[in-house]
Amino acid sequence: MKGIAIAFPWRISTLMFFTGIALVWLSCKKDDPPEDGEQDLTHIPYAPQAYTIVKPAHFPQIQIPADNPMTVEGVQLGRRLFYDPILSADSTQSCSSCHLPQGSFTDNLAVSTGIDGIAGRRSAMSLQNVAYATNRLFWDGRSPTLEDQALLPVEDPIEMHNTWPNVIEKLKKHPDYPARFRKAFGINTTKGITRELAAKAIAQFERTLVSSGKSKFDRYLQGELDALDDEELDGKLLFFDEGQVVGLPDAQCFHCHGGLTLTGNQYFNNGLDSVGTLDEFVDKGLGEVTGNPFDNGKFRAPTLRNIALTAPYMHDGRFQTLEEVIEHYSSHGKPAPNRDPLIPTVGFPIPGTNPVKYSGLTTYQKQALLKFLHTLTDTDFVNNPDIQNPF
Amino acid sequence: MKFSLAGGLLIAILAFIGCKDNTDSGPTSTFTITFKALYDGQPLEKFKAYDYDTYKVQLTRFNTYMSNITLLGGTSGDVKISDIEWVNFTPDLAPDNFAVPVPIAIANVPDGDYTGIRLGYGVPPNLNAQQPKDFPAGHPLSNENEYWLGWKSYIFNKIEGQVDLNSNGQADGALIYHCGSDAVFREYTFNLPVKVEPGAGITVEFDLKTLFVLNGTWLDLNNAYNQITSNDVNDVVIANELMDNFGNATTVK
Ligand code: HEC
Ligand code: HEC
Repeated sequence: MKGIAIAFPWRISTLMFFTGIALVWLSCKKDDPPEDGEQDLTHIPYAPQAYTIVKPAHFPQIQIPADNPMTVEGVQLGRRLFYDPILSADSTQSCSSCHLPQGSFTDNLAVSTGIDGIAGRRSAMSLQNVAYATNRLFWDGRSPTLEDQALLPVEDPIEMHNTWPNVIEKLKKHPDYPARFRKAFGINTTKGITRELAAKAIAQFERTLVSSGKSKFDRYLQGELDALDDEELDGKLLFFDEGQVVGLPDAQCFHCHGGLTLTGNQYFNNGLDSVGTLDEFVDKGLGEVTGNPFDNGKFRAPTLRNIALTAPYMHDGRFQTLEEVIEHYSSHGKPAPNRDPLIPTVGFPIPGTNPVKYSGLTTYQKQALLKFLHTLTDTDFVNNPDIQNPF
Repeated sequence: MKFSLAGGLLIAILAFIGCKDNTDSGPTSTFTITFKALYDGQPLEKFKAYDYDTYKVQLTRFNTYMSNITLLGGTSGDVKISDIEWVNFTPDLAPDNFAVPVPIAIANVPDGDYTGIRLGYGVPPNLNAQQPKDFPAGHPLSNENEYWLGWKSYIFNKIEGQVDLNSNGQADGALIYHCGSDAVFREYTFNLPVKVEPGAGITVEFDLKTLFVLNGTWLDLNNAYNQITSNDVNDVVIANELMDNFGNATTVK
């Protein structure tokens, strides 16, 4: 009290001094557009609800990373980001431009094209059951997790060709997203909106893309034995190498496309290209990531769930139809030093051959296998309202 | 009187809870078992052309379940230290072609001197009756790749490669051994002094060359039947032969 009279001018100058410092400090500290102040979000309640992924009872458990628990609000935010072209530089392309629900989250193109009309070198991968992809992501395994992967398309010059600072700036100014980030992650101001949180939300949404369990094959597995007709059943026996007892040969498929998700998540050379040396592969696949020449031309065996909906096939979309794919395997693919040893063993051993040769599949066996692949079609999944475009 | 009785009880309960996770009340340590894959005494190298009988083989994949790992003859008897482990010597993203050593650290093993170790090769019948969906994500048995829907069995081990029968540098056959089903589960005992104390461990080596020599003769790969373990659940001839020989192919140090 007693110091007011003399202290007044001092206080003003001190105040100005500290305000100055604070302003300098703030402007230095803000990484993104310094012009607009950050918005306070604390008036919006933060009460996330745990989200339980609905999976068929016969499917394995899903691993959720400890630092990205599933919440209703996180999944909702991720779904929006996934379908929102706001992520691309010219607001024309979203994740869903190349991962469309009708194509079981592929684009049904041989190779995908980005916003500048430049074609990439690989085919978009199905995201069905991507929560089960526990041995790295992409055809070549270059990304370790969904949280890491979701960061990449935005800045990929032949995909969304944007920058994350640019995306974050747009998200901060958006009428709806700041509140959604608050509800999902409890951030206090728009400053808390980061690429890492955006990626976490997208990853949460992607983990919900799980089979319905209502395909013919699933119904059969759950005890509805007449869900498969005789031909489809023969196809299943061929696929899983169970047909010896009824006189069918091994098609060897399940060794690489095994388990309920029909992908071993492992990397193989399935004999697509004839090469004399390991350096000749046009796309080196896993070898590009590991630097090991023996990994050249190896790619991840993708899920065959909904395979009838994801044409064309292989990492470069080289086969238009499943008939062509089956022909490829029946004829043992093309030779390469690291072609997987299973590939030339499709069919019966041909008596009298030494070294032994295998017969491939008969017309009937190819057709049965094709019919079996069609029993993996899961329209309940692609039509699930919870995973469609929310806009 | 009442009070001190209650206090005494409380202390006793606390003490009991405190050491409840060990079967013994004595000190425990983390014990590390390091699994290694060899061919002819040297670290296994993928794609290397190895001498095999009169021809060459290249090996590309080797993984195995190990189970019921039990230390024998401790002061309070045998101690089972692990139900199941998955040992993968050839992960997809290895830095080079060498099989990786796989160290498995097992916590809370009672300290002391043991006279040996027993190892289960594959998935024991009680666990093999279950499926990947029955185990939490991340558990060794939650791995769908290693489950055989057709057989209703885990694939106990996978040894894959290719064979060059006329040694011309071109593969002309496969070598695909996937062993599975209850009939081929085996346990082998190794007698050697094992001391458990802080920092202690042992090494378990599998030599695939020894594995392929059955009772002194090579498993004949000129016979196509011997190149691939049969997929008929009732025909486990090759799987039985290999599993019978796995103990010989193992060295514990
Ligand atoms: C221009 C088309 C395009 C866009 C846009 C795009 N993707 Fe992809 N996506 C692809 C292609 C092509 C691949 C395979 C690339 C490779 O393996 O090199 C792929 C692969 C993936 C994978 C790996 C799946 C697996 O099983 O390994 C995930 C996950 C994925 N995309 C999610 C997304 C998300 C999330 C977005 C938006 C942030 C997105 N994609 C945007 C084309 C696209
Ligand atoms: C040795 C492992 C292996 C075996 C055996 C195998 N596949 Fe594949 N499969 C792969 C790999 C790896 C790819 C991806 C290859 C690429 O794109 O470069 C693939 C791709 C496919 C695709 C295309 C998937 C897509 O989304 O484009 C289909 C369909 C397919 N396989 C079906 C089968 C069938 C049917 C069989 C049995 C006749 C079979 N596979 C046997 C490893 C294998």
